[in-house]
Amino acid sequence: MSDFTVKSDNVDVEQIMRQVRSRIREKRGVDYTEDEIRELASVKLERFLDAKGVRSDLLEQYRKRREASTAPRNFAFEDTTLYESSRSFLRVLRKLLNPILKLFFNPTPVVEALHIQSRLNDSYNQAEALYYELIHNLVLETTRLGIEVKNLKMRVESMSSRLDFDERRARALEGVVQYRPGAVAPLPPPSSVERGRDRDVDRDRDRDRQPANLGATDAERRNRRRRRRGRRRPGGPGERAAGGDSPSADGATDTGGPQAAPSRAEGPGPSRAEGPSAAPPAGDGGSGSAES
Amino acid sequence: MKLAVVVQRYGADINGGAELHARYIAERMATHADVEVVTTCARDYVTWKNERAAGVDTINGIQVRRFPVARERDPKDFGRKSHQVFNETHSMADELAWLDSEGPTSPALVDYVASPAAGFDVVLLFSLRYYHAWHVTRRIGSRAVLVPTAERDPAVALSIFGPILRGAGGIMYNSFEERAMLQAASGNQAVPGVVVGVGSDVPARTDPDRFRRRYKISRPFAIYIGRIDANKGCAELFRFFERYSATFPRGLDLVLVGNAMMPVPKHHRIHHLGFLSDEDKFDALAASDVLIMPSFFESLSMVALEAWALGKPVLANGRCDVLKGQCIRSNAGLYYDSYEEFAETLYALESKGPLHARLGRNGREYFNRHYAWPVIEKKYLDMFARLANQPHRPLAPLPGWMARRRRDLPAAAQVLAAIPAGAVLPEAAVARDRTA
Repeated sequence: MSDFTVKSDNVDVEQIMRQVRSRIREKRGVDYTEDEIRELASVKLERFLDAKGVRSDLLEQYRKRREASTAPRNFAFEDTTLYESSRSFLRVLRKLLNPILKLFFNPTPVVEALHIQSRLNDSYNQAEALYYELIHNLVLETTRLGIEVKNLKMRVESMSSRLDFDERRARALEGVVQYRPGAVAPLPPPSSVERGRDRDVDRDRDRDRQPANLGATDAERRNRRRRRRGRRRPGGPGERAAGGDSPSADGATDTGGPQAAPSRAEGPGPSRAEGPSAAPPAGDGGSGSAES
Repeated sequence: MKLAVVVQRYGADINGGAELHARYIAERMATHADVEVVTTCARDYVTWKNERAAGVDTINGIQVRRFPVARERDPKDFGRKSHQVFNETHSMADELAWLDSEGPTSPALVDYVASPAAGFDVVLLFSLRYYHAWHVTRRIGSRAVLVPTAERDPAVALSIFGPILRGAGGIMYNSFEERAMLQAASGNQAVPGVVVGVGSDVPARTDPDRFRRRYKISRPFAIYIGRIDANKGCAELFRFFERYSATFPRGLDLVLVGNAMMPVPKHHRIHHLGFLSDEDKFDALAASDVLIMPSFFESLSMVALEAWALGKPVLANGRCDVLKGQCIRSNAGLYYDSYEEFAETLYALESKGPLHARLGRNGREYFNRHYAWPVIEKKYLDMFARLANQPHRPLAPLPGWMARRRRDLPAAAQVLAAIPAGAVLPEAAVARDRTA
């Protein structure tokens, strides 16, 4: 989480809130409120999810089905239900004849079974509503997760492209650092003998320019290593790998191709030791890296 | 000048918003007028059960006269009547029945305040929605000064309150949002009204370290002070804070001060301290990084003002117009509408953050400019002086028996929905928006 930009002592709460909201939008990709997420879950789920297995309008469909259904949800069944009637004399008559009825069969288990069934129907109805609510909530959460995954994917893509860009820029800057227009005269490519002599001159100059904090032994070791490479290079595989006599071998026009790698591996060479003149312009690499 | 302060409950141990407001005003006005508090014997605002003796008492040097409540509230009956007037087409008789059912029904109190024998020059009535405010204002007309303490709930949209708001001598609003809402509901722009609010007795010195030692709280924390109740937005606060604490392990803790009306989640970063004395409360506030006000509906948050007085920023629920408006006008608090905003703003308001000190300073200035006691007292005295110069205006009589029973009034919730909502922005912001 980054800090707020407060430029003066006079803070403006509305402006801060605008900053907060814009940052949230940047983070989320899109500024969805809870209501919008619900709306998305019920209407446009297929945009974020593979809707093969999940119906976005579950709860709505369920409600419609319940409302449209003409079948009774349950029935009331008590011990007197069998003998009830809208006509009172019939009710009395049935009551009177009840003992005779019981001579033919026992209605009590039937009454009990139907009563239990009625209660089971009740609990089923309650549970059914809960299940649908639960599924609906799961759909909401899945939608939310879908959106989050989508945003995360976008952020990963954005970060990888920024990483690519940074790598390219780093290589380009290294190329700029190696280019020394004042140090090396733009002469035609010298012969290998001349080049070796030039290197010796450079080496002597480098020795004079070694940073004060670099120990003598370190400096000597590096010079020795460079001398060995210098001797091997003319006509050898190292020279070919470095691009031969082409200008890019000096890094003058190299903007970051694979050839830049060997020269970088040489460590703090003369171009790096040259100090501010070799540094990239402040407005270029400096501010850019600070931003990233 | 003889001043009556009429309020539904009164006592040193009663800390409800309007009741505390009334006590502060009564005690402050006592230096300028002969003040008598007139109230009921009730302590519980749900049942209005008579728990205190009727008669005259003295609290902090103020004479308090108590009258019994004629009947306790029947919650079922009140709920049924509330549903009827808030959600269905109804009659004025239904609204009056709702008012009786809500209570605290005390005809003796109304008779006393309205009688010439009591000799009150001005009657200050707290809480528009209760029985006493309506009946007393109907009886005394423009001698009444209302302190409506109204929130954005359907009760304010009932038709019976329109004539009261238009007939009172003056209205002391708690906020610009409250004034805008009540003026839109009743069309009482002609009635003298002033946005006052209330001050607070904030101690000159606080000791945050003492609080930390006593309650063994070492980490930085945000504080909530008030009744811990779902109606106050605490359920959402807990939900948000649990997510926040999972995301920011080094973020703020949450300290809760007040009685719990709902379960407080067991969480190692949520500390519920219960009800605290004023000294502990102010020390806690001074020790905190930020005060959180999660309530959806407030007419004025005294604790927010106290936080500003102590130089603490406030994080308010953005769906509460009043709190949001105060945050914007004071430039001393932020607000949230969602979890993401909650997390971002809470992070920004931590004491080590860039905003904390600046918002805190703005809060202190805002409090001193608008809510210091001399400012509040002057506004009240100006209003009383204005009333003394205007002739007495009685209220228009109620409609006839048949008219009162005609079921042609729309549901109050429907009326309320048509009333414009939103924070009242500072003039500069409005002008800037117009230019833009």
